[in-house]
Amino acid sequence: MATPKLDLSRLSLKDALDLATLIEEEAHERYLELADQMDKHRTPGAAQFFRFMAENEAKHGAALSAQRRARFGDAPRDVTRAMLFDVEAPEYDAARAFMTAREALGVALRCEEKAYAFFAEALAYVNDPQVKTLFDELGAEEVSHQDMVRRELAHLPPGEERNGEAFVDDPNPQ
Amino acid sequence: MSTTATQPTRAMEPKEFKSDLKPIWCPGCGDFGVLQALYRALASVGRPPHEIAFVSGIGCSSRIPGYTTAYGFNSVHGRALPIAQGIKIANPDLLVVVAGGDGDGFSIGGGHLPHAVRRNVDLTYLVMDNQIYGLTKGQLSPTSPRGLHTITSGYGSMEDPVNPLLYVLAYGAGFVAQGTPAEMPGLTAVIEEALRFPGFAFVNVQSPCVTFGEEEQQLRAHKTHMKSLAALGHDPADRLRAMALASDYGRELYTGVFYRNPEPGPTYDALVRRRQADLSPGAVPRERVLDRFRQDGGR
Repeated sequence: MATPKLDLSRLSLKDALDLATLIEEEAHERYLELADQMDKHRTPGAAQFFRFMAENEAKHGAALSAQRRARFGDAPRDVTRAMLFDVEAPEYDAARAFMTAREALGVALRCEEKAYAFFAEALAYVNDPQVKTLFDELGAEEVSHQDMVRRELAHLPPGEERNGEAFVDDPNPQ
Repeated sequence: MSTTATQPTRAMEPKEFKSDLKPIWCPGCGDFGVLQALYRALASVGRPPHEIAFVSGIGCSSRIPGYTTAYGFNSVHGRALPIAQGIKIANPDLLVVVAGGDGDGFSIGGGHLPHAVRRNVDLTYLVMDNQIYGLTKGQLSPTSPRGLHTITSGYGSMEDPVNPLLYVLAYGAGFVAQGTPAEMPGLTAVIEEALRFPGFAFVNVQSPCVTFGEEEQQLRAHKTHMKSLAALGHDPADRLRAMALASDYGRELYTGVFYRNPEPGPTYDALVRRRQADLSPGAVPRERVLDRFRQDGGR
């Protein structure tokens, strides 16, 4: 059973809704993972924000999933998680121990930007007009999420940047 | 990979391989991406967790067995390969995956590697090569580059690193690949291919240590200088060319399959089974093995 590939040109509306749901699901899981990492490394501010983002992604996923059920019922799913990598999910490399809330918001902003880029770039390959409309809407949602994160960022007081060097021991000859 | 075990009957999900234990690696560690790629590759291969055994030694990356739902043996430092070989020979239907770091595999366990390779035991050996002993707070490891400043080389390392790719190619490994979590689809693909390969398969993953590693070893740097072997037009059946490319370890970051034996030979575990079958017609049944020591000779 080889890993299936995503063919945007053949995407139906059902597939597109499933794909969008899976994208939100992946992002939800990843934010929770990062929140757990932050908890383990005593970084509560970033953990709290990542949980907030996880909840948001779960809500969007649930809304898309409901839309899919309303239109297509329990018809089998033809797209899988194996077809996508980090479309909206933060990359593992984005997290750091003791990251500030500002840095955590920066991670989320970059994720919303890359999700928008995915839907915008996908439009060039999509043939189904209903899928094009859906991707337009999803792209616009990502822009509104970017605005939300920027607003949150604006509320944060300017703080000290994280000192990554504080986490490691100095290399002393032994 | 053994062909005698059950064939996949349904599509599996990566999360079926994810245990409840949460990784304690440092945030940003390359091993998170490796683990994710591994879950996905296992789901694609489609063998259920109870048909898979993970064996590891000691180190950050050796925690992997605990993070999967498969059988796991987090063994002692450097001894993952002998244990994995024993498991595979005793139960050839298991898909056996060995995971560990460069210190575990090429330093304390370095003596075991050539023998596992030359025997061609059907294992997948996944090394998370971070060029440092991260778990013990940043000492020189066998793949640390010359000149590296660490707590055990305050004035810079005076040694050349081990070349893991060239090493396993020289001993005759049938499948040799390299990946990085900076390119997840490619990493997942090489792990999946290694799991499917019928024989000893080696994947070197450039998995940076975010805490003690150098800036130029981090994933951000990988993204700027990694080179796909497929894009370079490399033919994975060409072993000599693979060795020439592998010689650039430490200078170039090639990703993809260096070598895939187009005609894999018999695996050691298959030969053991054949030998057992050949000898079994004249063999005393297990329940009568002790009969010769009885006074009446077992009559």
